[in-house]
Amino acid sequence: MTKEVLPLGTIYVSPRVIATIAYQAALQSYGVVGLAHKNFFYGVSHKLVKDPLHGVEVHYDGVEIRIDIYIIVEYGTRISAVASSVRDTVRYQVEKALGLPVACVNVHVRGLRISEVD
Amino acid sequence: MRIEKERGQSPDHAPRAKEQVNGAVLKLMVEAGLTWLRTNQQIVNSLNVFPVPDGDTGTNMVLTMQAAYEEISNGKENNFGKVAHAIAHGALMGARGNSGVILSQIWRGFARAVDNIETLDVPTFVKALASARDTAYKGVVRPVEGTILTVIKDVATAAQEALPETNDLLQLLERIVKAADDSVQRTPELLPVLKEAGVVDSGGKGLFFILEGMLRYAKGMPLDAPTSTVMPIASMNLQRTMEIIEPGQDVEVVIDFRPYNKLDIETFYRDLEKMGTSIQLGEGDGIYRLHIHVSDGRQYEPIEYVKQVGIFTKVAMENLAAQMEQSEEKSGIAQLTLAPVEPGQIAAVAVAPGPGIARVFASLGAAAIVHGGQTMNPSTQEILSAFENLPTDKIVILPNNKNIIRTAEAAKELTVKKVAVIPSRSVPQGLAAIMHLSPHEDFNTVISEMEEALLQVETGEITRATRSVEIDGISVKEGEFIALHNGNLVAASSSLKDITLELLQIAHADHFELITLFYGKDLTKQEANQIADEIRFAYPEQEIEVQDGGQPHYYFIISIE
Repeated sequence: MTKEVLPLGTIYVSPRVIATIAYQAALQSYGVVGLAHKNFFYGVSHKLVKDPLHGVEVHYDGVEIRIDIYIIVEYGTRISAVASSVRDTVRYQVEKALGLPVACVNVHVRGLRISEVD
Repeated sequence: MRIEKERGQSPDHAPRAKEQVNGAVLKLMVEAGLTWLRTNQQIVNSLNVFPVPDGDTGTNMVLTMQAAYEEISNGKENNFGKVAHAIAHGALMGARGNSGVILSQIWRGFARAVDNIETLDVPTFVKALASARDTAYKGVVRPVEGTILTVIKDVATAAQEALPETNDLLQLLERIVKAADDSVQRTPELLPVLKEAGVVDSGGKGLFFILEGMLRYAKGMPLDAPTSTVMPIASMNLQRTMEIIEPGQDVEVVIDFRPYNKLDIETFYRDLEKMGTSIQLGEGDGIYRLHIHVSDGRQYEPIEYVKQVGIFTKVAMENLAAQMEQSEEKSGIAQLTLAPVEPGQIAAVAVAPGPGIARVFASLGAAAIVHGGQTMNPSTQEILSAFENLPTDKIVILPNNKNIIRTAEAAKELTVKKVAVIPSRSVPQGLAAIMHLSPHEDFNTVISEMEEALLQVETGEITRATRSVEIDGISVKEGEFIALHNGNLVAASSSLKDITLELLQIAHADHFELITLFYGKDLTKQEANQIADEIRFAYPEQEIEVQDGGQPHYYFIISIE
């Protein structure tokens, strides 16, 4: 739970909110075709997730927000470029929405989707 | 320029009214697209507001296209399909950034449709563009319209519509460049964030430049002078142009003017290019704003020139070299988000020796930061002015250095506000204290809680000896690393790693829970992490944190709590 103490009251933001913002940002990111389950073994049977909390982990230790995000990438794209743009987009969107700094975004590429074979 | 030369040598390569082209022509076209994109790179960069406004779209697209071109630059291949595949491969390997990845997918789809094709004709070109669009759209779950994706879609549609009307590739290229241009102009209607910023989409504009470069080459137009554009004044980002100071172009001149007659943009650009670089022209309500970099001594030339074409309303001149230094200095402080203060609350003023430490204090609720520390003590006036304007009368000061405590006490005498100096002798003490800052609580209670907190933390500092000396039985040679535990000299060594471990041992770090290392500006993150790893190995029970402190002189400031 992130907390911002303001003069007229305190605003609490739950990790689910942050996860949802990150989820939306990742899905709009080019090259990402879905989010995967963060638990690898569970993920094999549930490859794509709809619930943001399953594909995104949000850690808040009272000082900074850390995000782990698990993605499936389109085969044939440059994975490092896709992953770094996910990282930048997620950080930017979360910081923009919450006004709180994000310390780090770790992107885990959990699979490739092959839609076209060259 | 290379293209001109090559074309001069083999004039039959210029595809005028061509029904078919081979791989060698494709190579020249790609080079032309890359050249034109590179020429207009800054324009594309300046438009970048989506998905992250970091001003690198143009650079990323150029690097991607360059990797694509390098794949074919030395080849003598004439087979169109093979050249296209090589381009797609190069673009994939060199893809940079969001727009670069999309560009590589466009090439991949394009190449797939021309597999095994010896020469390209109009129907194949149309089919290849459709395939490029399809592949590009497959790479994302939620395509955002108003981006490069929309532009390739509109290009493919325009090509499809032109198919029954022409079998001339040049005519087709003209149609799609027009379609790309129109599509780019429509992007703000589709993507609100673009409209808000008053720009068109950067990636889409980049794709347009690639296509237009091909067309310009086919028509024999030059590719080395940036396109003469006028952008809305609101979207002129003069901040970013500072990053690209060309040697010798030291003075930035910005002139606002109202032209007598309609401005001839082409001539205007051509004349100004003789005077300087980084030319940008903006327009809003009939007022034009010219931005140009010129060398020192020539700064009056653009003004004289503008006087011939219109009446200038305002001139601003800045020395770029000096500006750069200043912005570097400021960059550490500028990003700080300080805690807001309401009347009646307790506001904390912290003295921080480095930008990283300042950020940590700010994130913990400091309402003002004064920069200073060992060998750069802030003056009483600096501390005073940090809090005089805060809208509250209850102030706590964290000096965070034993030499600054007295200065802070002096500030107390010069104000009518209620000021308490928490005698924090080090950064870790200051951090421990600010953790107990509750802005709404009773002033005296907060002060005593903060003062108590000072004792709950051990401070370690590692710096270099400035002279040889013997203190408390420890002899130190000049230049050696020395370790201070709560301000007392405890060890000296020539190895930073050894002395850090020794210091932790002396401080009984194994009795504590958390060790935070603030590394100074003389260490890289990597070096700091290496030492942190050694510490993790030696202290498996303790949690080790590494923070960029950015302080001078001190390699590490260590908080043990």
